[in-house]
Amino acid sequence: MVWENFNSIDDVKHIEQEYDIVVVGGGTAGPMAAIKAKEKNPALNILLLDKANVKRSGAISMGMDGLNNAVIPGHATPEQYTKEITIANDGIVNQAAVYAYAKNSFATIEQLDRWGVKFEKDETGDYAVKKVHHMGSYVLPMPEGHDIKKVLYRQLKRAKISITNRIVSTRLLTDDEGAVNGVLGFDCRTADFHVIRAKAVILCCGAAGRLGLPASGYLMGTYENPTNAGDGYAMAYHAGAELANLECFQINPLIKDYNGPACAYVTGPLGGYTANNKGERFIECDYWSGQMMWEFYQELEGGNGPVFLKLDHLAEETIQNIETILHSNERPSRGQFHANRGTDYREKMVEMHISEIGFCSGHSASGVWVNEHAETSVKGLYSAGDMAAVPHNYMLGAFTYGWFAGVNAADYVAERVHSDLNAEQVANEKQRVYAPLLREQGLPPAQVEYKLRRFVNDYLQPPKVTKKMEIGLERFAMIEQDIEQIKANNPHELMRAMEVSVIRDCAEMAARASLFRKESRWGLYHYRVDYPKRNDNEWFYHCHLKKDAHGNMVSFKRAVEPYLIHLNAQEEIAYQGLRLKVANS
Amino acid sequence: MTTQLTTDNPDIVILQSRLQDSDASTRRIALIELADLEDPDSLPWLTHALTADTNAEVRREAARLLEGWEEPDVVEALSTALTDSDETVSEIAAQSLSQLKTAELGHIILRWVKNENPDVRKHAWRALRELRLAASAPDALHALYDENANVRREAVGVLGWLKYTDALPELARLASNDSAIEVRRAATGALGLANNDSVLPALRSALGDAEWQVREEAASTLGKLRLAASGDYLISALADSYWQVRLQAVRALGKVRYIPATNGLLELLGHSISNLRKETALALGELGNPAALPALRNAENDSDPEVRKAVRIALAQLDKN
Amino acid sequence: MAQQQQSIFFRSNAPVTVDEEKCTAHKGCTVCVEVCPMDLLAIHPETNKAFMQFDECWYCMPCETDCPTGAVKVEIPYLLR
Repeated sequence: MVWENFNSIDDVKHIEQEYDIVVVGGGTAGPMAAIKAKEKNPALNILLLDKANVKRSGAISMGMDGLNNAVIPGHATPEQYTKEITIANDGIVNQAAVYAYAKNSFATIEQLDRWGVKFEKDETGDYAVKKVHHMGSYVLPMPEGHDIKKVLYRQLKRAKISITNRIVSTRLLTDDEGAVNGVLGFDCRTADFHVIRAKAVILCCGAAGRLGLPASGYLMGTYENPTNAGDGYAMAYHAGAELANLECFQINPLIKDYNGPACAYVTGPLGGYTANNKGERFIECDYWSGQMMWEFYQELEGGNGPVFLKLDHLAEETIQNIETILHSNERPSRGQFHANRGTDYREKMVEMHISEIGFCSGHSASGVWVNEHAETSVKGLYSAGDMAAVPHNYMLGAFTYGWFAGVNAADYVAERVHSDLNAEQVANEKQRVYAPLLREQGLPPAQVEYKLRRFVNDYLQPPKVTKKMEIGLERFAMIEQDIEQIKANNPHELMRAMEVSVIRDCAEMAARASLFRKESRWGLYHYRVDYPKRNDNEWFYHCHLKKDAHGNMVSFKRAVEPYLIHLNAQEEIAYQGLRLKVANS
Repeated sequence: MTTQLTTDNPDIVILQSRLQDSDASTRRIALIELADLEDPDSLPWLTHALTADTNAEVRREAARLLEGWEEPDVVEALSTALTDSDETVSEIAAQSLSQLKTAELGHIILRWVKNENPDVRKHAWRALRELRLAASAPDALHALYDENANVRREAVGVLGWLKYTDALPELARLASNDSAIEVRRAATGALGLANNDSVLPALRSALGDAEWQVREEAASTLGKLRLAASGDYLISALADSYWQVRLQAVRALGKVRYIPATNGLLELLGHSISNLRKETALALGELGNPAALPALRNAENDSDPEVRKAVRIALAQLDKN
Repeated sequence: MAQQQQSIFFRSNAPVTVDEEKCTAHKGCTVCVEVCPMDLLAIHPETNKAFMQFDECWYCMPCETDCPTGAVKVEIPYLLR
């Protein structure tokens, strides 16, 4: 049965609008981008689109309990930070992009602080930076960080940014010279079709968090907010943008089954740590990196597993403090989860596991390529946050790059006029989007998604095996056929149907990117059984992926940009010394 | 509800009848919608609801929704609401006041710091802390003598955030003698605003406090101050019954680079808590005393990888010297 | 006549539940419906109260936290409990 309101595509309400800048995604980077673009040029009309509602959207919908990459004068320097990220990312970084973040990190903190975001301070009002890493101190707790979205929303409204919620953006429009000139999408409640002309678009759509299937088998039991299905990756890809180092997957340690972060950055400064079944530490690696995940994975699979978060040695007062922070921030249902299972931090270690795979530059390095101005390789297209390839950028990097994107896009549009829309692009996309709603019968989106994501686990989850990934590609091609058979009963299901196609695109990108880099690097993130060694001679490159002029998915090498900050020999050695159970060097 | 408020703002006009509805929960929902506009024109309705609505639920909502407006009228209304007959209204108003950032608005709040109700005084001081209004210092000094411990604790916060050095003797007194643990802990932390040895006696006394949280705060404050003269006190803290206190003392000794601490630290390299062994190794690296070399080499095979890493860093530092 | 495709529906136990006595949706409140990132909640056309329309919960809690009357309760979805 066709959805009650529609008989044919002509019944779709067609809404056309025009803005100077459209920001897609109102989570973390997006609001900052919109506000900073407006500050830069108050005459601009700026639209912020969100698939959910800006009030509670994105990775930090319930706030954040701490910063783990704060570069605060007196505690760390931008140069030291850039070195650490270079090391954590096995050398494959555009240091200019990392350094640009690091230099602006403190300004971002101060901006957020002025807006009312709460960071921990000591009794003299100084930032209470904690030392967790061995070299610099980058951890700034946010025990009262639950209101961060409220603060952002207030700033958006006061800056008079136009906001449209519940719009699923599906494709970008490009003009004759290949520059982005609009966004297409639909309303997930009314199914209205939105054509939005823009002089520039800023994609802030978060991670591709629904790529792998969580071990629980529950589709929406993901590490990332499941709204972040990879929409931005797919849109950028189809607009011709280059994506960088996608094979450097996101895999995170987390609370088993609950699938939420264990928050070592909260518990670490208070004395908690990750332990094996003997209650002993085992992680050698100092950085949140693929190397650390490799060690975690080895312990999990070996005789010392499973792995736990150990807090039972802490003082009662400390545990109460941890409970207050963890159960009110970021993923507050943690407390309920532990209570259901009778897990009391005082008596039992918390069982941990590793997450399903995803793309996320915020945690690893896999994203849409951007330079230090948040520009993608496509004219008029900017990107920031988890989906933009600035390694290990986390929340603060998302804000910082949102800031860059907003300011630079505002400058760019100042000299632009709206270019003509390509009617064929619009018509084709409209056909594609509404097909599931107009079909009489067909496959349910959730089943196709389940099967697709199970294949992702079966064939792409590291250790990566060439033959498996090749089979994966065949399966993903078959899913493409299944997508043609999806039936959506209503606009909500249409949103899920469109997400299946996004996830499929990301799955193919993950497989092809992983097959291209014929070496192992980044610990577990890209451990290739057939090429188990790191091979700097042939692969000390960025690997980019894009859609070529013929519509093919192609991969190619890009030289690593000359370093701005060199690692001296001693740092190299000290680092190598830290890698005892070496995975792939 | 009165109807004297008028506007030609169309967004508010359409809400007006619901804002004046006889049903309290309808008024409350209308207030939520009104606040969502984030329009300064909405403020008279919100402040009116906070100060005049007969229903406590509505007043609570108004107090919550007024957060984030740096306007004198709003601060006036929220401050008045600190004395609301409904305790929750006053707590929410206090929470909203504590979000303010504009120092001058503190003058309005200062009028409430001598209120007869200790909760009002506490809330007012809490709001003043983040404003860092210099003019609040004299009253804050008086408030250190308040009969209510919560008020004293918030006054300590105000003076600490102001980095008001003239308050140091009083803060030192509280750190050593206050009857409330939290006041002693906060005052101990606030002594971190000092720039000389004058606070040493108080911090020494805090290191011997009966409560471990105060002792921990004292040790970490000494680490922040890096006062060379604190070395011997810190050495005695290495024997504290709480490893958390020892850990801060170890860190502080590393920062001060107090060579005579070497032996005391070496003993801790074998402590059962690995967090402490790790910090000890790092501190020995900072000290740079070659006498620690044999013990550190021995610790290279510690069962805990974090400790081994710290040991390697320390050995590299000692090699350099 | 050849075989026809036929839909069949799975049953699920909603992890998000609403206390209809406390819910003020009938007076115009839509807070929980607005804040759900997955757009799973709706106002029921007959009861005029909020309810969980789709079972795709991320147990993230804004609906429960932001509900002005404490009417919404989020349980961890059974598969993860």
